[in-house]
Amino acid sequence: MIRRFFYPRRTRRDIQTDVDEELRFHLDSRQQDLVARGETSSDARLQAMREFGDIDDARGYLRNIDNEIESLRRRKDYMDELRQDLGFAFRSLRSTPGFTLVALLSLALGIGANTAIFSVVHSVLQRPLPFPNPEQLVQVWSSTTAGDRSHVSASALDVDDWRAQKKRFTDIGGYWFAEGASGADLTGRGEAQRVSVAAVTPGFFPTLGVAPMIGRLPAESEMVRGGDDKVVLLSHAYWTRAFGGDRAIVGQSLILGGEAYRVLGVLPAHFTYPSANVEIYLPFSTIPDGSIPRIRPVRVLNVVARMAPGVTIEQAATEMTLITRGLAERYPDSNASYANAELQSLAEVITGPVRAPLLGLLAAVAFVLAMACMNIASLLLARAAARKREVAVRVSLGATRSRIIRQLVTESLALATVGGMLGLAVAHICTKVLVATSADRLPRSQEIHTDGVVLAYAFGASLLAGLLFGVVPAIRASAVNLADTIRAGSNSVVGDGQRLRSVLVVTQIAFAVVLAVGATLSTRSFAKLLQVDPGFKPERLVAVALTMSTARHGNDGAYLNYYQQLIERVRATPGVVSAAAAQYAPFRGMGERNGFLLPGQSLANGEEMPNAPAQRISDDWFRTIGTRLVEGREFAATDRKGSPLVVVVNKAFAKQYFKEQSAIGQSLKLGGSVDATIVGVVADIRQSAIADEPTPLMYISNYQNLRVRVTLVARTQGEPLLLARTLQNAIREIDRDQTITEVFTFDEILNEAVARPKFLTVLFGTFGTLGLLLGAVGIYGVLSFIVSQRRREIGLRIALGANAGAVQRLVMQRGLLLAIAGVAVGISSALMLSRYIEGMLYGIASTDAMTYVSVAAGLILIATLASLIPAWRASRVDPLVALQPE
Amino acid sequence: MSREPMDLLQGTLDVLILRALAWGTMHGYAVSRWIHERTDGTIAIEDAPLYKALHRLEKAECVLAEWGLSENNRRARYYRLTPLGRKQLRVEEANWRRYAAAVFRVLEPA
Repeated sequence: MIRRFFYPRRTRRDIQTDVDEELRFHLDSRQQDLVARGETSSDARLQAMREFGDIDDARGYLRNIDNEIESLRRRKDYMDELRQDLGFAFRSLRSTPGFTLVALLSLALGIGANTAIFSVVHSVLQRPLPFPNPEQLVQVWSSTTAGDRSHVSASALDVDDWRAQKKRFTDIGGYWFAEGASGADLTGRGEAQRVSVAAVTPGFFPTLGVAPMIGRLPAESEMVRGGDDKVVLLSHAYWTRAFGGDRAIVGQSLILGGEAYRVLGVLPAHFTYPSANVEIYLPFSTIPDGSIPRIRPVRVLNVVARMAPGVTIEQAATEMTLITRGLAERYPDSNASYANAELQSLAEVITGPVRAPLLGLLAAVAFVLAMACMNIASLLLARAAARKREVAVRVSLGATRSRIIRQLVTESLALATVGGMLGLAVAHICTKVLVATSADRLPRSQEIHTDGVVLAYAFGASLLAGLLFGVVPAIRASAVNLADTIRAGSNSVVGDGQRLRSVLVVTQIAFAVVLAVGATLSTRSFAKLLQVDPGFKPERLVAVALTMSTARHGNDGAYLNYYQQLIERVRATPGVVSAAAAQYAPFRGMGERNGFLLPGQSLANGEEMPNAPAQRISDDWFRTIGTRLVEGREFAATDRKGSPLVVVVNKAFAKQYFKEQSAIGQSLKLGGSVDATIVGVVADIRQSAIADEPTPLMYISNYQNLRVRVTLVARTQGEPLLLARTLQNAIREIDRDQTITEVFTFDEILNEAVARPKFLTVLFGTFGTLGLLLGAVGIYGVLSFIVSQRRREIGLRIALGANAGAVQRLVMQRGLLLAIAGVAVGISSALMLSRYIEGMLYGIASTDAMTYVSVAAGLILIATLASLIPAWRASRVDPLVALQPE
Repeated sequence: MSREPMDLLQGTLDVLILRALAWGTMHGYAVSRWIHERTDGTIAIEDAPLYKALHRLEKAECVLAEWGLSENNRRARYYRLTPLGRKQLRVEEANWRRYAAAVFRVLEPA
């Protein structure tokens, strides 16, 4: 068994020299032998060289082989040392189970949380959209030349023209989808159902480049008026849910709105554009003019386009604007004001709004991991002090300092790697939870999954963590003064690692401050959001949304009859206090925009009428949902067909258009020609999003201007959802085939409106709390360590007469000093970073003084509390025990 | 036996070197003289391939090399057989004998 304990490392130069010497020895020996046989010196030399053969070739060959041998030896030694180090590491970690468990737990949580959030960031922000060549996809909007309105939808005729005139685009397509509003009644398969529909133009599927999983896409002829356009495609989720994944449905027909539509195919599972809630895609051409008139002023389509290869977005925007300007000239009445086009990359549109919060989360969770690492480093420093003997022995046995450092770092890396693997399990759970709770609030949430990049990130994070907490303690631990250590009674090395740990704690506190500031700002912003007056009283309000079927109720008279019946039936239901109806509940929709002229207003050339969203509502709507009537009156039984047309406006409307005057009695010309009198002004209702400022809104009586979309709302005496079934049954008693779009309570929609900020607040709050905990643990650790290190000094002080209080004060002063330093650094860092979260806050500035002051005070309090136990322990030091020789 | 020295058959150099070293630890020159003497000059062995083979055997861990002092107090590189090398020698030797016996059987007059 060949054992080489120490052999000198051979450099290339050493090998070169050795080879030369070996060859020289051979030639000299041969020369000598030949001379002994009687040859002359020079002849002998020549013969020796001749006998040898190609010496230069041999020289080169030997050098190469020897270099290879050396490399192999080095690698083998490295592997041996690594195995040794790992063995050491595991034994050592096993012998201190407390430390190992704490470290593994912190690492698993820290790395797990980081990996989970990274996988969200990666899936949502970094991965390209699941379409072929997604960088070519853009969203196209109209915008006004005045620049006051942007992101305006397009009309179907405009989209057709854009498609016909495009040069730098491969294709352009439009879609109409409104959550809860674009639907169709599906009958003939059990109970009548409302299915959610996206109506698309011919260019939609070619633009996105999606291929159906089963079946085929519609041909161009199957998507235009007059063609065989009664075709549908099913979304994958709907196909699985409603038809159990049965392939036989392709080729069969579905009865939608009373007409038969052929099922052409099923789309793949990953296709969830424009929304994961779309159940059926059908051609826009099948929407009757009665629902959406095909005229240029009616703008409902969102447009997506694919740029030709090599075209930049600026070039595409230029061409698009040229086209829209051309249309503006040709059709001035409808298009003159909307002469511009805006383009934005589709990825940006979908993921832009969540970029800042997600990156903020990633930063926060990285902070938490850094803090956990600092805690572990602190623990390792303490451990290093305890292992001084062990290290000294190894040094005396001949280990070099770099070897010891390498072994200690390997230990840290091993710890980090195991922690990282546990972290993957944690990440798996965290990701599942995140996806489940954020389904509606995060775009592309169905695409979140772990892939190679995420695993690499987890691995990299583990390595980095291991190095972060391992290197400095390792260097410290290896700096051992042999004589001092092995000699007995060597515990009096003051300041051993103490300064370093103090720096660590100050850094930790700074981090904790930043996290706490973020969490506090986020929480207070959320609280302010909750305080916003939505404009109505949400308690015990239940709503049933439906669309009156065009097929069954035919003319206006029949509709109004039905409408009246529905409302009266709900009012008559036991348990209902009051009931009314509107088109959309708050946060569910705004209603279409209607233009109007103010009293005495006439339009200049090319100027557009002012317009505002106008909802069609029933009598008693505001009283039912609890909105304050500011002036005038609501709609009543006197406002019916044939009576003068009346409108109610909100405060924002009155303020914008009538300023200080009363709006009551003022007359508007709706659509530019129809006279309507304002009879009431109501408080502002948050109709779109809770954080948005109220905009001018109009209300028109549904009896005077009918719309088929209806949301019946009832205020109940008891629990609102208990009445939901009763109400649905009551409705079905009037019309058996009435499909219900949705049933919900106003409490639910109010919760939904704050869902995303709530989600973010919870996450930031969690990280902030974790940060505070870690900071407290850090302070406690350092102070305990200081106390144990300075035992003798403290014992001395007590023996010399210092009372318990003085000793305690000593320790607490130390703790306070560290805390103040940390808070100072933390507050200034937080102030510098504050501008990055400005956009996420509502109602509070990112530099809000009270927040910073309370966080500072809070941390100082926590530091004080964390110092209590070490301080108490210091005062209990028994001088007799402490002053004994080791 | 004075004919032209024959060319070395493929792969035989390794087994010759191992056999030489089984005799005792030698430096490269000594191995060269040992083989030359034992084959009576029948086989022509250039020293360059010999040294190449020696170092190859070192890489294969069949021989171990150490620096030492020669008979006349010069620094020389000595080669020693390892247990693996000893095993390899036995294997090669057996192969050679089988090979030679087979050739003899073919050449033997019927």
